[in-house]
Amino acid sequence: MSRPPPAVYPLGEAAWTVVLGEQVGAATHAAVLRLAKRVTRRGWPGVGEIVPGYCALTVCFDPAVADPDRLRDFLAETAQQPDAAGSEPAPAGALHRLPVRYDGPDLAWVAEHTGLDPAEVARRHAAREYRVFLLGFAPGFAYLGELDPALVVPRRPSPRTRVPPGSVAIAGSQTAVYPLATPGGWQLIGSTAVRMFDPDRDPPALLRPGDRVRFEPVP
Amino acid sequence: VIELRRAPPFATVQDLGFPAGRAFGLPRAGAMDPAGLARANRLVGNPPGAAGIEAALGGLGIRTAGAVTLAVWPPAELRAGGRSRTAHAAWDGEPDRVYEIEPDPGHRFCYLAVRGGIGVPELLGSRSTYLPGGFGGFAGRRLGAGDVLPVGAAAGPARERPTPELLPLPPQEVVLRVTRGPQWEHFPEAARSTFLSVAYRVGRASDRMGYRLNGPAVASRGEATLPSEPACPGAVQVPAGGEPIVLMPDGPTVGGYPKLAVVVQADLRLLAQCPPGREVRFREVSLGEARACYSPLP
Repeated sequence: MSRPPPAVYPLGEAAWTVVLGEQVGAATHAAVLRLAKRVTRRGWPGVGEIVPGYCALTVCFDPAVADPDRLRDFLAETAQQPDAAGSEPAPAGALHRLPVRYDGPDLAWVAEHTGLDPAEVARRHAAREYRVFLLGFAPGFAYLGELDPALVVPRRPSPRTRVPPGSVAIAGSQTAVYPLATPGGWQLIGSTAVRMFDPDRDPPALLRPGDRVRFEPVP
Repeated sequence: VIELRRAPPFATVQDLGFPAGRAFGLPRAGAMDPAGLARANRLVGNPPGAAGIEAALGGLGIRTAGAVTLAVWPPAELRAGGRSRTAHAAWDGEPDRVYEIEPDPGHRFCYLAVRGGIGVPELLGSRSTYLPGGFGGFAGRRLGAGDVLPVGAAAGPARERPTPELLPLPPQEVVLRVTRGPQWEHFPEAARSTFLSVAYRVGRASDRMGYRLNGPAVASRGEATLPSEPACPGAVQVPAGGEPIVLMPDGPTVGGYPKLAVVVQADLRLLAQCPPGREVRFREVSLGEARACYSPLP
């Protein structure tokens, strides 16, 4: 399957966003991470932070140093090069096993909405290995996918003003663990004691894009 | 040390923010008006990015324990020992004296710099307070009366290196330069020309994460959201309702709303300083023009 050529857009005067596909999924995401790796390896002068999204990669730079137009051409060309093997496998990231107590305040609602009983919601949620697509929303908040289609539910009609840290949540085809006490609109189905973000730790975020996550039910 | 005798509802320790957190969801954060902080720092002989106090919504009262050199920007009313004047330059604080600082209400943020900088511990490469995460700065929180802040060791030449004057906000409307955003093409021509021709008012629901703009809606065509992709301070996001939100330093690092435009970094501080109700207009510039006024540090 061929993708349209990647498009490069400015995100302000000091960043390019390279869009590598339209569809959220493993193949596009692998291309995002591969481009990130290539840009890092190239060590382009003046390039600073490199930030992945689902389908796009943003490369920040100092315009006085980076020669922005040449950098844009480099990104467009590099994004089009197939990987050495000519296929799409992403390098397998670290596997994290997160113990979860399926005791979330929205578990009963999710069960009712999906027509499954709460134990089956938990079983299905813990049955898959998830991919870390990106981090955002809050420090250490990792968007994990993709969820069992039977567990796809909408967000809460109005967000909670404070979600406790460690809450395991689902919304749409994604799941996540809230790393910090923040407002949040996802459905809370469980909790983990693992610290997803600790500013005093190096690296502070437990998960990074491309990592894999399994949730392990604990009583 | 300096002790806060009186704190406004919103005061935090800030420097120029976290240099490398966006890939794991930590925004740059830091001073809302980096050039304002830098100006106050230069007045006391600090490097431009030394940590200072960012105060909003009211005045500060501070007591200095030893002799320290202080400065504020924008120029504020300074009262001490029964006398009052406008502080345009640095002053030498006398030991055990209380200084009352009344910021100019035409600006949202006022910066207090202390020679040596506020000496809170560095975390993730910054002394900034990141309130949404409850970490950084002084105990990860807003400052309150009674807080005692450490002052760092002074380095570099003594104060008042000649520095360019930093002008306060223009009294009338504020014009912000923008470049086209990643989803510029998702917006109909009518929406783009509306955005670039009318005056918006800074909304009440504006904070360190984002400023809402009250004015004509500029809805995009097609999908109201896209797969989350990186955002940045200055990005003009347009949610389904069509009222733009400009992301500010504490704003999310990724987002799914289409980004119509991005405010030129050098101008974002002007928006940051606008109190609710101030009128702002947007003017499109080329990437080349925007790059010509870019500076990595103010």
